Amino acid sequence: MQTSLDVQYIVELLPILLKYLGVTMEMALWGFFFALILAVVLAVIKVFKVPLVHQAAGLFISFFRGTPLLVQLFLLYYGLPHYIPALAGMDAFTAAVIGLSLHFAAYMAESIRGAILGIDKSQMEACLSIGMTRLQGMFRIILPQASRVATPSLMNYFIDMIKSTSLAFTLGVAEIMAKAQMEAASSFKFFESFLAVALIYWAVVVFFTRIQHIVETRLNKAY
Amino acid sequence: MNKQFKLILAALVAVTTLFTVPAFASQTVKVGMSGRYFPFTFSQRDVLQGFEVDIWNEIGKRADYKVEFVTSSFSGLFGMLEAGHIDTISNQVTITPARLEKYVFSTPYVVDGAQIVVKKGRTDIQSVDDLKGKKVAVNLGSNFEQLLRAFDTKNEITVVTYDSGFEQDVVLGRADAFVMDRVSTAQLIKKSGLPLQQAGAPFQKIENAMPFLNTAEQTAIRDKVNETLLSMRNDGKLAEISVKWFNTDITK
Repeated sequence: MQTSLDVQYIVELLPILLKYLGVTMEMALWGFFFALILAVVLAVIKVFKVPLVHQAAGLFISFFRGTPLLVQLFLLYYGLPHYIPALAGMDAFTAAVIGLSLHFAAYMAESIRGAILGIDKSQMEACLSIGMTRLQGMFRIILPQASRVATPSLMNYFIDMIKSTSLAFTLGVAEIMAKAQMEAASSFKFFESFLAVALIYWAVVVFFTRIQHIVETRLNKAY
Repeated sequence: MNKQFKLILAALVAVTTLFTVPAFASQTVKVGMSGRYFPFTFSQRDVLQGFEVDIWNEIGKRADYKVEFVTSSFSGLFGMLEAGHIDTISNQVTITPARLEKYVFSTPYVVDGAQIVVKKGRTDIQSVDDLKGKKVAVNLGSNFEQLLRAFDTKNEITVVTYDSGFEQDVVLGRADAFVMDRVSTAQLIKKSGLPLQQAGAPFQKIENAMPFLNTAEQTAIRDKVNETLLSMRNDGKLAEISVKWFNTDITK
């Protein structure tokens, strides 16, 4: 079968898919928001080596880095409701956001921890010498500096997360990948449909790469 | 009016609304389907439609259910049913002994046969026997793999499972054939314009119905659905929907 590429079909499909880009971006933004909070908490726990919690954080990071995101999503959405019936009421969108948050928090925690460790020890010593607690020193002095160091890798994770939202179609979230599949199934124009969806992801990622550039330039101004 | 009386009145109003509202609003039934199975359930220009969609809109109208369609890849639907995310699956689910052990089914609403499809012009495959040593594509989560295995006691057929798009792989020669229900293969060949053809006669009768979890609540919905399907069958609505999509009555 050698049919020519149906450009017209792609042009017609793009606006249909774009209607669902909102769902994709909402998942990515919420996912990143929660992942960032959780990652900072995990990183600080690991840096301070808080007893017991520190080991728990290590286990958390090990599990969520050590298993595929798809498997985690399936466990969360199809598996857990058998044991925790209240979870059956959780919709697929929520499950996807939770899954993405947990998964990416594990990765992001490690890069934030790295950034914190990269800040000179004397900074914390200075904080303590003027009477700040270790936690105050961390949030007032260390983390602001570490955030500059961590930004490039965190932005990378965000871009990765945008693309990972495409796995949410397996849970039944009506995002752009799911829509592309469904349109392909009725038109039989598989190449065109998936090309259209690829172009959308690409455009979004290019856009956020620009933003990353601007953010980094701003943060580096003082240096 | 003293304060206490007002409070009691407010509480009364709250309690009555709480109890009366659900009694008047129609019950919501969540129906899972792939949305990727032409012409049973598919999306065209962002409109979910097809045979299954029409059937459920009619059931909803007659049984006073608010029908909510949930689309997910076919392989995920049973997981969603088990986890309670949906009430039933309307996606040409075939009744099999294994599924009967786990679920309660509605009465069958489609009677069909398993059909082998090959690339156009291919003559070496005419029956299940000819599939030995060949690579055969089936839908992930569908029952066609077990069906093939039942005929293939010596494990000579290589069965490959797909989430979607196996028709392309048969055309490309990555798989020798695919197996699906006869009705959809006819539709698929006609609609897609792909160089495919049905090979031989259907090799197994299959009956499709909607599975529900075996709980009192879900069985109640099942019973209501059965009652509604029967009324649709009796007044010709079921046949009418079938003719609309298939030009023939596939419901008996």
